[in-house]
Amino acid sequence: MTEALQFFLISWLDLKLLGLVALGTFAGIYVGAIPGLSVTMAVSILISFTFAWDVYPALCLMVGIYMGGVYGGSRTAILLNIPGAPSAIATALDGYPLAQKGQAGEAIGLSTVMSFVGGFIGIGVLAVAAPFVSEFALTFQPRDYMLLAILGILLVGSLSGESLLKGVFAGALGLLIGAVGLDPLTAEERFTFGMVELWGGISFIAVMIGLFGVSEALIQLHHIDKAAVKQTIGRIVPSWRAVGKYLPLSLQTSSIGVIIGALPGTGGDIAALMAYDHAKRVTKKPEVPFGEGAQEGLVAPETANNAAVGGAFIPMLTLGIPGDAVTAIIIGAMFIHGLNPGPMLMIEQPQMFWFITGALVLANIFMLIFGLTGIRLFTKIVEMPRAVLIPLILLLSIVGAYAVNNSITDVYWMLLFGAFGYLLKTYGYQVGPVILGVILSRLIDENWRRAIISEQEDLGRLFMGILTSPLSLVLFGAVVFIFISQTPLWTGLRARFGTARARGDGV
Amino acid sequence: MHDPSKKMPGETAFAVVLVGLSGFLLWQAILISGFEALSSPGAFPMAAAFAMLVTSVAILIKTLRLRERAALRFFSDVAPPVILAMFAMMLGYALLLKPLGFLPTSLLFLTVSIYALRRRGLLWSFGVSLASLAVVYVIFRLVFTVLMPSGLVPEGEILAWLGHLFSGGHIQ
Repeated sequence: MTEALQFFLISWLDLKLLGLVALGTFAGIYVGAIPGLSVTMAVSILISFTFAWDVYPALCLMVGIYMGGVYGGSRTAILLNIPGAPSAIATALDGYPLAQKGQAGEAIGLSTVMSFVGGFIGIGVLAVAAPFVSEFALTFQPRDYMLLAILGILLVGSLSGESLLKGVFAGALGLLIGAVGLDPLTAEERFTFGMVELWGGISFIAVMIGLFGVSEALIQLHHIDKAAVKQTIGRIVPSWRAVGKYLPLSLQTSSIGVIIGALPGTGGDIAALMAYDHAKRVTKKPEVPFGEGAQEGLVAPETANNAAVGGAFIPMLTLGIPGDAVTAIIIGAMFIHGLNPGPMLMIEQPQMFWFITGALVLANIFMLIFGLTGIRLFTKIVEMPRAVLIPLILLLSIVGAYAVNNSITDVYWMLLFGAFGYLLKTYGYQVGPVILGVILSRLIDENWRRAIISEQEDLGRLFMGILTSPLSLVLFGAVVFIFISQTPLWTGLRARFGTARARGDGV
Repeated sequence: MHDPSKKMPGETAFAVVLVGLSGFLLWQAILISGFEALSSPGAFPMAAAFAMLVTSVAILIKTLRLRERAALRFFSDVAPPVILAMFAMMLGYALLLKPLGFLPTSLLFLTVSIYALRRRGLLWSFGVSLASLAVVYVIFRLVFTVLMPSGLVPEGEILAWLGHLFSGGHIQ
């Protein structure tokens, strides 16, 4: 226990690490707040610069950006009705009406404190649950890993985009991109077209920066002339009374956030929307109706999306399966630093787990401090003209893609994926499943082969194995359910069930 | 931005390209090790490429069935000149990075793109670019120690000279 505490405090006691967490959180808040610049974009561009670093400082920076970025999106959602990040979409619903009533300061203050509360609960659950989950994960069979990873990609594909078809396409594309290069087991060439340069595969960083950095910046060019709106901000620090009043609700919505965040493939955006929905259902008599500036409508999504951060780290650290696009990128970075997230990480390198938990708590505290101060500087940065901002992002994208391997080929890959990502997004495909696919490609490939070899290449035996193990059966059931839930049969059933229930209510 | 009930300009073409890409990748996946075993190196790529092909064909059929067209045009809403130009600028940057070096290429890239996007005078754009590049340089080159091609500017020598200056003129 004392050992765990020691590891937990590493980032607190080392001034450099402390500074990096602070810097990361600060940068995260501002990047998250600038509409169009997502946390995923910030993490993916910045990660490329931390390769030469040791693991600890690199993780400190990433953890800070993640925590700050999820919170930062709420600022512009409240002030401008433009969610800075997808996880702040629900925040805008009641946050912006509050700002229109001249209560922007109060709304920001309340959302900051509530994000802090949610973040804390998420980390608490991570610290308590992860060791158990990781112990449980040791009993996982290769087929379970395979099913879990497929489930993760399908969840991202079905929940965050316009159709499961497009989500599956994007996920499968990612899996293929991840398979390029020499096969890790037999060293056979896959999709190399005889080029030695492709033996090592396509640089993950180049794909990531292209899809999240360049394509997003290109999309922002459509809104180049949108002027920044100015808001006057009054009192920021919320009253104890307000915080106390919403504490019970925040505990409920935080639990929703942790659970949704912990599901592989689902992150803060879905958690926030579900929490908002929950708040709407449980708040019988809101002082102000929802959608017109109800504070409950602000508290719910803000606690949930920050609680989801801690939740998302659970499958990432215990199973090696990312909870969302940002954790997928962090996993990629951990691979490059020689770490292998999964159940063995907790056993072989428990210090890494406690270190990350410590850094998360620290980032959460910095988020509270920076959130309640520096509002003036904040408005200045958000008002920075896009005509300056976008060229800068593109410049950083190129530098980032180049810096990892000092290779101009990586820059061309990045540009290719940037253009491709732009078209994907324009035509309604999501890019999240692509990056999840790239990260999970090797895990699925290896576990599939292990599973099928241990069953002597017999598909029938593999299915029997799945059907006779409760865990595999649940995972398999979930995968099948996602497919069925997207077919007309299910919508028909649900409609019938819905009318039956409505009739039942009427009686 | 994308409304699934309306067809966007270029959407059908894009769907066709994706079907072609998936088919090509499936063919390439089959070439890896054929159908020799379920655990062969080509099995997983084949499965993934097959999933791509099935979904892309389904998406194409859905797209073809869409009757209503969005009131948009390809070269003004999907790929407007500003986006094409910016992309061309990035390609140019990648081409010039090695021969010219990081500092001149970046300055050129920033000045031209900021000027083109903002239209507030060349001098203003140059000033803003110079200031931003200085910040980028300090953060990434000096703090993150990212190595970029130096090209025309003898960056290493200048840094060494500066370091020498600050160390009080003593050569260690």
